[in-house]
Amino acid sequence: MPVGRDSRAKYLVAVPQTVAQEDLSKLVTDNNLWDATEAAAKYISGQSPEDFSSQRRFSFCILPSQVGRDWLGSLIRLNCDTFVECFPELDLGDLAPLVGKKSLPKHDLLVCLSTRSAYHLPVARKFVTSLRHRGLIGDGVASSVEMAVQEAFANSLIHGNLELATGGHLSMDRFKELGEETEHRLASGHHGARAIILTARRRKNGQVVITINDQGNGFSPPDANATAPISRKDTTFGRGLPLIRSLCYSVNFLRDGRTIELTFDDSQSTTALGDTAFLNDLETRLTTSPDALRIAQNATILIADDTLLSREIIASYLRADGFTNLVFAKDGEDAIAQIKAHNPDLIILDIIMPKLDGYAVCKAVRADPAFAKTPIIAQTALEENEGRTRIFDDGATDLILKPLNKAELIARTKIHLENRLLVQQLQAYQARTQSELELARNMQENLNPTPEHYRGVGMDYGMRISATFQMSSELGGDMWGLVPIDAHRLGVYIVDFAGHGLGAALNTFRLHSLIWSEQVDDQTPDVYLQRLNRHLKGLLPVGQYATMLYGIIDRQNNTFAYASAACTSPVLGNTATGEARYLDGSGVPLGVIRDARYETREVPFDKDSFLLLYSDALIETTLDNGQFLCEAGLLKMLQDTVLEGGRNIDLAAQIADQFMDRAPAKLDDDFTIVSLQAASIPSAG
Amino acid sequence: MNYKTDFANGTTTVEVTGRFTFGDHSSFRKLIEEVRGHGSSTLVLDISGVDFIDSAGLGMLLLARDEGEKSNTNVILRGAQGQVKRMLEVARFDTLFQLEN
Repeated sequence: MPVGRDSRAKYLVAVPQTVAQEDLSKLVTDNNLWDATEAAAKYISGQSPEDFSSQRRFSFCILPSQVGRDWLGSLIRLNCDTFVECFPELDLGDLAPLVGKKSLPKHDLLVCLSTRSAYHLPVARKFVTSLRHRGLIGDGVASSVEMAVQEAFANSLIHGNLELATGGHLSMDRFKELGEETEHRLASGHHGARAIILTARRRKNGQVVITINDQGNGFSPPDANATAPISRKDTTFGRGLPLIRSLCYSVNFLRDGRTIELTFDDSQSTTALGDTAFLNDLETRLTTSPDALRIAQNATILIADDTLLSREIIASYLRADGFTNLVFAKDGEDAIAQIKAHNPDLIILDIIMPKLDGYAVCKAVRADPAFAKTPIIAQTALEENEGRTRIFDDGATDLILKPLNKAELIARTKIHLENRLLVQQLQAYQARTQSELELARNMQENLNPTPEHYRGVGMDYGMRISATFQMSSELGGDMWGLVPIDAHRLGVYIVDFAGHGLGAALNTFRLHSLIWSEQVDDQTPDVYLQRLNRHLKGLLPVGQYATMLYGIIDRQNNTFAYASAACTSPVLGNTATGEARYLDGSGVPLGVIRDARYETREVPFDKDSFLLLYSDALIETTLDNGQFLCEAGLLKMLQDTVLEGGRNIDLAAQIADQFMDRAPAKLDDDFTIVSLQAASIPSAG
Repeated sequence: MNYKTDFANGTTTVEVTGRFTFGDHSSFRKLIEEVRGHGSSTLVLDISGVDFIDSAGLGMLLLARDEGEKSNTNVILRGAQGQVKRMLEVARFDTLFQLEN
């Protein structure tokens, strides 16, 4: 180790409880996942992905061998870029090490799975959802990216790792044969244990590069122009390549065809991302340079024009009005270099210039998130409409006609600089409020039980409890909790305050303290809600209200008794059959009238029952099909999930994962979902 | 991928839901075998509940069509939405199947 380095860097590694330490050590040393002489690792273990705090940054997340949907969900939940399945046969070969290889650019997301796990999982979907949640791609292009990744992934898995040939006409017999051969190879230690690695990284120019790497024999891609239409005699197996090409900016094959590299370049994602990148950039500039643009006359203005005379005229106009901070560029390339060097507050750009014309400069400037909002005034002698429309399409903020009129130039310059000044001040203000909101968010998150807590309480009552909570982009008003009453009765509540933002958050704090100061004891749910309502009515300003459900699961008498104040209808289902139905959630919201009456409703809750409580975000968020998740849709999703996963799954987490796949990355409202199911493990009591 | 079949008056309707991708070959084979037993003159594949299909899924639909030709069964694809609809358009399935909304 070089002299002077006092402490070794530490990798924080998230490890599932089911992974044995010796298997993990073997995995790390055999495969050289990271350079162990450079960095020591600290392992943190957890029972499910929820156990790893989002406040903590992990260098690696180890996935258990035979990854299931629960751990695949960690791609979205964990603050981590590198996910590796721990399976004994993993041999990375030329792909090692996954992290810290000098010749490879750093990835923003990497997932390494065994073929046998990957085959049965919706990997492409989860990978793309994760890219959306990380802000690497916009919601608008997710569908195209997913289609391309799915095809490339299927190709690498089936033709690469499993070495199955699927070309030619596919008869039913051949199909059957292929299916059997697939199962056979998946089970074999040779094919099934090959690794498949997906990576994504975002380039500085906003393009996103996704690679899919397999360990098969490689293949030579067919001619790029081979896009014959699908004839009725052919199958679409192995037809994915033309489709991939149609969805990507570019497709490349590396490692003799064992790596497919897809590049996506879309204006939708760059604008969406530009905003956040710009904010980050702004924050650093605000903190690092005290003399950021405060008054318009301090502004740095770039004048890009190929004729010296024009530059001088513009400069003289501007100087006469007090703008002295001027920078010049004599052609398009020079303009881009000057913009990068000086980060001007305003660009006055000639359209017709050597090397790069004004259109190209505009495009290039807008493609860089750092300059997404810099005002550009294009100056042109073109009077025809086409050129004028085009320059706006390419990103110009305003247009000024040649020959320049001094008063007009100054007026436009001032307007755009003032706009920029206002936007910057506003954003600085937002950045400060943001940090205060962050604090409040953490406090609010702490109102909800931790995974350790709800899991432990669940065990005490012979139940499996799972929950997912995602706060909206602002502060929200959701909260849930558990209230152990006696050895066989467990109380549970879920609350949603109307609206979100600081007001709703404050109300959740109010209610939380009420709930915990109130002695629940032997109160029936209706009486409990009545009392809570009376207290809350006194505290809440007029017009503010909450919906709430409070219920008691009685494990001895096999019942669930609850009262609801306009809560979303809870779902009661059967873990053996997957059948489920909605319970009545009607009742007056809390805080509306002082003497509201509630009703206790009782339903059977036995060894096969599950209960799902959720906030309205689950059924009132517009999904990728432009619609809400309908009532029947949720029941179907529950049924499929239960039938597929059995009774010992974290039901709420799995429903949340499926929801996230289809919901926008940023939610407008808090999202809470809680499941309680009778577990097959006997009650400790 | 999940499915539910319904057989009435010489028509088999299969409601397919979830993701329909390369890994679903065994469920799909079961589906075809089940439908074969009905001897229907029309097979309606209701794919309105399918939220994602890949090219292997398209291949399997073609397979269903081939099977239908063998037994003189008219195969109809019903209710494709979103990404599925887009895929059917890209692959020009309108020339191969009867498509219904």
